[in-house]
Amino acid sequence: MVAVESTARPRAWAVVTGQELRDLWLGGRGLLLSLAFSGLLSVLSYLVATNQALNFLEQRESVNLTLQVAIAVGAMLALLGGADAISGERERGSLESLLLTPVSRLELTAGKLLAALSLWIAALVVTIPYVWFLGRGIGIVGDALATGALVGTLLAIFLVSLGVLVSIFAGSNRVSLSVSLFVLLALFAPTQFPTSAQQGWAGDLFLRANPLTAGEHYVGKIVVDGHHWSQDVSWLVSPAIAAALFAVLAAVAGARFMQLSGDVSR
Amino acid sequence: MLGPNGAGKTSAIRVLTTILAPTRGTFAVAGIPSTRPADIRQRIGVLPESAGYPERLTGEEYLRYHARLFGLGKQSARAVAVRLLAEAGLPAGARAPIGTYSRGMRQRLGIARALVNEPQVLFLDEPTLGLDPSGQRQVLTLVRRIARERGATVLLSTHLLAEVEETCSRVLILNRGRVAAEGTVADVSRQAAAPRSARLRVEADSVPKAFRILTAERGIRVVEPTDGQPGTLALTLADKQDSTSMNAALCALAEGGVSVLFFELEGARLSDAFLAMTEAA
Repeated sequence: MVAVESTARPRAWAVVTGQELRDLWLGGRGLLLSLAFSGLLSVLSYLVATNQALNFLEQRESVNLTLQVAIAVGAMLALLGGADAISGERERGSLESLLLTPVSRLELTAGKLLAALSLWIAALVVTIPYVWFLGRGIGIVGDALATGALVGTLLAIFLVSLGVLVSIFAGSNRVSLSVSLFVLLALFAPTQFPTSAQQGWAGDLFLRANPLTAGEHYVGKIVVDGHHWSQDVSWLVSPAIAAALFAVLAAVAGARFMQLSGDVSR
Repeated sequence: MLGPNGAGKTSAIRVLTTILAPTRGTFAVAGIPSTRPADIRQRIGVLPESAGYPERLTGEEYLRYHARLFGLGKQSARAVAVRLLAEAGLPAGARAPIGTYSRGMRQRLGIARALVNEPQVLFLDEPTLGLDPSGQRQVLTLVRRIARERGATVLLSTHLLAEVEETCSRVLILNRGRVAAEGTVADVSRQAAAPRSARLRVEADSVPKAFRILTAERGIRVVEPTDGQPGTLALTLADKQDSTSMNAALCALAEGGVSVLFFELEGARLSDAFLAMTEAA
């Protein structure tokens, strides 16, 4: 029997994604991050379950807290993957070889962005048993996981795109990672504001405009308050817009400004 | 392509390989105008000056990946990778991670990568940089073989002038971003305004007679004995562009009964041209 090779040209973005996935997961970096993520969720679940047993936390609140941390940390891992995508190649001296291929810069960006998103997918898979364990018996596991997957995916797309965007313009990998993490912390800061600051029309607008706070608020409404998914869908507007907008920005910046040097003025 | 550090060799290669946009002007590579960079990239192979490699990949995986980026299917990419590893003298490195490669092996892997698309023009930016003499020889032998067997045009940037004289058919000297000289090795060497001098050895007891004959020649400006080398005289020609004056001097020695044991005209080598053109500027 003779093996016949398909004459169709491989899709460049798929080739880039495949290679990036192999590098991320077979190279061990992805596994290490997932292991650390799993350790964090284990500790959190233990603390949450203990508080639940002591009646300090409702079961729904336990699930909500775990899910929100999983979304935040999982999306952060994806952000780190995106922030390393271009500046990392540049720093390792391997970007020039990629730019010398006939693959368009848009396809390179897309391939790297999709591979970085796999870190969130892995985090979501790791989260499933923890949510099931904490939420069993009250019928919210399915809704919680579906909501977490939806919100987490929107936030992951937003943050990966943000990371890639920073990575395209950053002069070094260190700068790219630092700036990305700083932006992430700035976005998370409102969650620590006193309740009084989150009330009123200004507080509400602020929470809705920030994709991270809006997303987490939506998760809380579904998991803790038991709302139907369509009831508070307006809270998904800013995560959805941020995901779409930053994905487009990353694609445009990748196609137009990805250079050997992070300094686009050269 | 020759030039001192900072002359613009790497920038020129990056412009020609479409990595950097030219600030002005146009160019074509393999007949493709600069307005079609993707088409140029299909027809060229490049070894960048400071190429980095994924340490965890094997040589074969690395070549397969790049072959796939150039549009080859999985099986074709594998076949190309295996063939190029053998061609670059790296068959044993196929299954070893690139992190274990020596610098010479990495350079040869980089050249193999530059060949995955059967390029018409191959750009090699300092392929022998940082290699020991054995590594330099291996890389240059590979480059010569590529040019001979594949019929590809090879543009090589280097500091090894002796190797350029041996390997290259044409030379371009860049200095501070401008072309200082361009042509065949012989042409460029001749263009150099390097001071012509010569060394000549005669029988030790014929030195006074040779000295007398040579100082009488109008084409010879200075004749002086060389310290520590009995019978050897160093000559400086009066007119560096006129080689007939040296012929006349040699004829005068022969007619005067002085046997010339050794004669070398200096200042016509590529290294002299390179120094003269880059230092003068």
